[in-house]
Amino acid sequence: MNGLLTKFLLKNPSVLVFLGALALFTAFVSVGSEAFGWGFISTSFVKTLGKTLCFCLIAIAMDLIWGYCGILSLGHFAFFGLGGYMLGMWLMYARTEIIVQTAMSNEVIPPTDQEVIDAIGTQIFGVVGGSDFPMIWAFAHLFWVQLALVVLVPGILALVFGWLAFRSRVTGVYLSILTQAMTLALSLYLFQNDSGLRGNNGLSGLQNLPGLDDVSQDIVSMWFFWASAFALGLSYLLVKLITESKLGNIVRGIRDDEARVRFLGYNVEGYKLFVFVLTAIIAGIAGALYYPQAGIINPAEIAPIASIYLAVWVAIGGRGRIYGAVIGAAFVSLLSTWFTGGQAPDIPLGFYTIKWVDWWLVLLGLSFVIVTLYFPKGIGGLFDRLVRKGDA
Amino acid sequence: MLRVLTLFLGLLLAVPAFAQSSLYDALADQTAGLKKPSSKTIETVISGLQDSGAPGVANFLTKLQSKEVWYRKSDDKFFFVATDDKKTYRLIDIESGEVVAEVAKKEIKQIKPNSGVRAKIDGALVAFRLTDADPAVRDAALVGISRDPKAKDLAPLTAALASETDPDLKARMERLSRILTVSFGDTTEARVAAIESFDGDLGLDARAVLNPLVTTKLKAAPEVGVDENVAKTLRLGNDISEEEAFALLVASGLAQAQPTKDDIKAALKANIDGDTVGGVMVADLGTDEARLAAYMALAASGEVPAILTSEAKAELLASATYYEVYAEADPAVTAAAVEALSSISTAVGVSQFIDLVLDGISLASIYFLAAIGLAITFGVMRVINMAHGEFIMMGAYTGYVVQQIIPNYTVSLIVAIPAAFVITFAVGVAMERLVIRHLYHRPLETLLATFGISIALQQIAKNIFGTQARPLTSPGWLDGALVFNDVIAISWIRIAIFVLSVIFFLGLLFVLNRTRLGLETRAVTQNPRMAAAMGINPDRINMLTFGLGSGIAGIAGIAIGLFAKVTSELGSDYIVQSFMTVVVGGVGNIFGTLAGATMIGFLQKGIEWFNPSNTLAAQTYMIIFIIIFIQFRPRGIIALKGRAAGD
Amino acid sequence: MKKLLLASAISAVAASAATADIKVGVLHSLSGTMAISETTLKDTMLMLIDQQNAKGGINGEMLEAVVVDPASDWPLFAEKARELLTVHEVDVIFGNWTSVSRKSVLPVIEELNGLLFYPVQYEGEESSKNVFYTGAAPNQQAIPATDYYLEELGVEKFALLGTDYVYPRTTNKILEQYLKDKGIAAEDIFVNYTPFGHSDWSKIVADVVALGADGKKVGVISTINGDANIGFYKELAAAGISADDIPVVAFSVGEEELAGLDTTNLVGHLAAWNYFQSAEGDANADFIDTWKETMGAERVTNDPMEAHYIGFNMWVNAVKEAGTTDVDAVRSAMYGQEFPNLTGGTAVMLPNHHLAKPVLIGEIQEDGQFDIISQTAEVPGDAWTDFLPESAVLKSDWKDLGCGMYNTETETCVQIKSNY
Repeated sequence: MNGLLTKFLLKNPSVLVFLGALALFTAFVSVGSEAFGWGFISTSFVKTLGKTLCFCLIAIAMDLIWGYCGILSLGHFAFFGLGGYMLGMWLMYARTEIIVQTAMSNEVIPPTDQEVIDAIGTQIFGVVGGSDFPMIWAFAHLFWVQLALVVLVPGILALVFGWLAFRSRVTGVYLSILTQAMTLALSLYLFQNDSGLRGNNGLSGLQNLPGLDDVSQDIVSMWFFWASAFALGLSYLLVKLITESKLGNIVRGIRDDEARVRFLGYNVEGYKLFVFVLTAIIAGIAGALYYPQAGIINPAEIAPIASIYLAVWVAIGGRGRIYGAVIGAAFVSLLSTWFTGGQAPDIPLGFYTIKWVDWWLVLLGLSFVIVTLYFPKGIGGLFDRLVRKGDA
Repeated sequence: MLRVLTLFLGLLLAVPAFAQSSLYDALADQTAGLKKPSSKTIETVISGLQDSGAPGVANFLTKLQSKEVWYRKSDDKFFFVATDDKKTYRLIDIESGEVVAEVAKKEIKQIKPNSGVRAKIDGALVAFRLTDADPAVRDAALVGISRDPKAKDLAPLTAALASETDPDLKARMERLSRILTVSFGDTTEARVAAIESFDGDLGLDARAVLNPLVTTKLKAAPEVGVDENVAKTLRLGNDISEEEAFALLVASGLAQAQPTKDDIKAALKANIDGDTVGGVMVADLGTDEARLAAYMALAASGEVPAILTSEAKAELLASATYYEVYAEADPAVTAAAVEALSSISTAVGVSQFIDLVLDGISLASIYFLAAIGLAITFGVMRVINMAHGEFIMMGAYTGYVVQQIIPNYTVSLIVAIPAAFVITFAVGVAMERLVIRHLYHRPLETLLATFGISIALQQIAKNIFGTQARPLTSPGWLDGALVFNDVIAISWIRIAIFVLSVIFFLGLLFVLNRTRLGLETRAVTQNPRMAAAMGINPDRINMLTFGLGSGIAGIAGIAIGLFAKVTSELGSDYIVQSFMTVVVGGVGNIFGTLAGATMIGFLQKGIEWFNPSNTLAAQTYMIIFIIIFIQFRPRGIIALKGRAAGD
Repeated sequence: MKKLLLASAISAVAASAATADIKVGVLHSLSGTMAISETTLKDTMLMLIDQQNAKGGINGEMLEAVVVDPASDWPLFAEKARELLTVHEVDVIFGNWTSVSRKSVLPVIEELNGLLFYPVQYEGEESSKNVFYTGAAPNQQAIPATDYYLEELGVEKFALLGTDYVYPRTTNKILEQYLKDKGIAAEDIFVNYTPFGHSDWSKIVADVVALGADGKKVGVISTINGDANIGFYKELAAAGISADDIPVVAFSVGEEELAGLDTTNLVGHLAAWNYFQSAEGDANADFIDTWKETMGAERVTNDPMEAHYIGFNMWVNAVKEAGTTDVDAVRSAMYGQEFPNLTGGTAVMLPNHHLAKPVLIGEIQEDGQFDIISQTAEVPGDAWTDFLPESAVLKSDWKDLGCGMYNTETETCVQIKSNY
């Protein structure tokens, strides 16, 4: 196995380059962080970078499903959100349990188990007008189960949805619209209070790890940064392994001409389903890493628009080349943060002042049109051109 | 309340010599109640004024109702007040009606009776107003009675009925007198007759007066009282559960309430003795069983009330009768009311269903209107236009801007509709020329590019108009609703939307099937090369068709803005639903869009009907249903066959 | 990419190095869906800070506003709050509108021991050591309005209509219990939730009208939020429902919201707030004049603006008393602070971090303003409602007990930090 990996890496030096760059970057941030270094990178910026890494992670998934398999899914942020919710449930439950048990330990008569659970329920759902635990919280107290659900829930949803859709040969734009409808249905469902996941409020305070109150956020944010970088590196490797294998060739074949691959005797639906489920799982993991850094998850995060932005990142970065997705996600999302954060200088024109807060989205929208029309290969395409020139 | 009134009347009668003749004197007695009128006290004030016999009380009360009465802060004297410029205020003497002074606002204070007080004044003035020469005043009197029917109104109403000349008012008076008779008629026969006259009547007022007659109260007693009008006797275990029955016993004082878990915990806490309670270690009280055992031990030693054994409880339960008793004492009246209501409830059920169907049609026509433009661009041309919603939004904002320029709502609407069409047509054509033309063979990329345009347009609208909703007001003749009865009603604006969608539907059918443009469009869609070979310019046709679809979306925007609101997110609210409508209905076919909109509209209303407390759930279930539906009919309800189906 | 990172990091360092006298953070959305409401509050804050600087600042030090834009994005609120406290090192933050944005910043504010003034009416059931709630708690808005319905209008049947999120859910839960305690039967309370921006109201309005079929007077209590109100009121007007037949009292509709509506058909419907622009008094007249002078004659004032006005002035006085902007010192000086309301009377800061304020009920007029028809004495804000059994035993007292969630039954502090 080790030998195989070495062989693979030798054949694909770009993977080594990427992993090296990622490692260097991680080291740089660690050295610059407030927790472990000189502190010239603020903790809030470390969180931003960590979240950006999670975006890169889901962008890899998006590139695999869209760039390699040709399925424009407008629903991968739903899987991202589900992953976040699954971990968030445990974080909220465990944190609240500690608070409740501390408070109840002072009481004269020891509480019954039911009283403890009721008190936790009141604390978690009291703010949204409830107090009973819905069914879906059945495993919230078990860390390992919830952790497994981070992978299982997006995976199973993707399996069921994908099986239904691919089986009835829904393809192309129809599939895109269907995935968008799925996302909309999920976000509308979660917006309801009756969904049992606190409706519009969502799950909050996720940055506070249960039992680790004394650990400063400076340190916690670095932990998550490392975890995100690790997951990104691993997924990059995994996805590269897939795309460079025979499996990758078939998947690319499906993208280019589905009917022909089917006539060659391959089970097209099976391959598509595999890629769809795998990418959903990667998205779920990305979400589980993202939301503890963001601190709060709510249904607005899953709204269809988020998944479309994901497509925007990948398209701008360049489809069909994994590093393109990473570049696109990092570039566009950081730029968005910068422009909407009010730090970008306004441009006074005399009669009108262009405020980036107002005009950034217009610019993004139009640049997207231009990229689609004139640079279908995105930023990655420019890279390729440079590299090829270098070769020649 | 009544006691205060009688006391007051008594006082007045006792000293008739002092009966006041001046309105100011009469008001002076009521100053406190008038300065801060409350519906709890206003009746005393009114009857005080009316009993004083002073002239002009009714006029004063009418003015009080319309907030025209003020008082001067310096001496608490009441005036009518008029002002032209809201700077100086003219004080008008309430007796002479003459202007007595001009003052600044600081010196006086307006009396602001709330709607409860205003209703009470209405009630007090009924007898006085019923015979007024002005039909509008008589109308107000009728409204006053119907809001708060009282026994004392019956006689003046019957009297006024005889002399009423206006046929419309007469009919309402007649109906109102029957309604009053139901509750306040003198004889059982009169009441029963009045009740029977409402058989099958859908009026809300009729149900409002009949329903209270049949309200029942649940009772538990050793045996049924002699003069009680019993609706139903309940059998223990069948009609009423044991817990409910026991709670009823407790409520009627026939049994002692049993301690709840919290009570037990509190009792244990209060009886802690060292580190044990009732022989159980305090530290072991972490289970319900241990707590119960400790409590039983305490109860055995008599320190806390005992818990009933199940046998004792059963015996208690068996000792009482459980029954429902009518609030109305007269059995003949309740029997008639039950019968009348059952006939009404059938009629109401039918009407509610018709109303639901109307709602469904209305929602379907809104979805149809939102999707019809897409039916052309997506359905016929196969262009995925994610900016379709933004065309709807542009149309709505056009309506808003035109309304800012032309204040007359009717004229502005007449101007806005073609304006919206022209603007969105132009933008649509521009978009087709600049972007979509280059992407005809890359549908997924069209989706992305048009999505970029959608983001940009939405943000531009935000930058220009702000994020706040803008008003788009419908002209007066679209206000209100078409009312069939108190259950079935539909607002005119919805009817207008329905009519508009029918026009669009027929118009498009005509354009696509009966005109040269339609023929060429279909030709270009099915086979552009062949069409070009036949002398059709596909570029021009594509441009015009896309422009047409966009222009229609613009007009739809005005209709949707009139019915809901104009915001920059208006379009994105409808875009997913619109695509669903076209896909579910079947692409490439106006009939399909119609079928899709109808199905989605009715489905949503149907789900809402089953689950009335949560509209959000209805939307979720609807989308899930659509997703599943598409699994089984991937090409929609009305699927094209053969060549026309294209890919 | 790397360059960008460095540039950002360096600019962050530079910003923290430059220190001004006293920094006031303003954390209101300037873009996105909440921008319309929150931009007004940002402008209010800038106006108040300017006024204070014109008076010579506080204790000789000038105030500097640090404005950031969380863009109606709830996670971004937490990020921006952290940035304000650690990078800009502000002394106090005025901000937030929605409950979910408040819940998002709470952990950050508590972790870094910041100070937040929250100016909007909210659902209660919260009391953080680091937050002062200058908007209304449910007992300062919902309960008095319900009392008004019961006592003045004689309403016997209630339709509680709300947008499906935390504020309406909690408020309606409290109201349901309150109404039951007042003897209203469960079947006489109709509850309905709709999504944000809901526009198809015909069915719900018809349902409300049908409630009148048993002869009881129906009243609507609306916690419908934002744009959805437009469709709701339009449908109400189309159905010809007069405020005298079925009154509607709204808790989220103020002067700003009515600006998007033609109010001729809505005259007589109600709203409950702690402030209306139409309140008479010199302080209010001055406030409105300054506002219109700064922002334009067509602008209106509203309740959360008054909350910021009171909150800011109390904070200024507390800093003066404490002689420092240190959060703990200012917090202790806040308790018992008094400041005149714009509606007359005096607001007092209570140890539970809420204000005592009067409750006003206004009828909508044709010009989009409210005619105040009822005004109570000052009502002390209650963090934990007395009308739900699980909250009735809780109280908040940061001054003497040092606890925001104290169980009076077991006499223990349930939690010192909030559980968000």
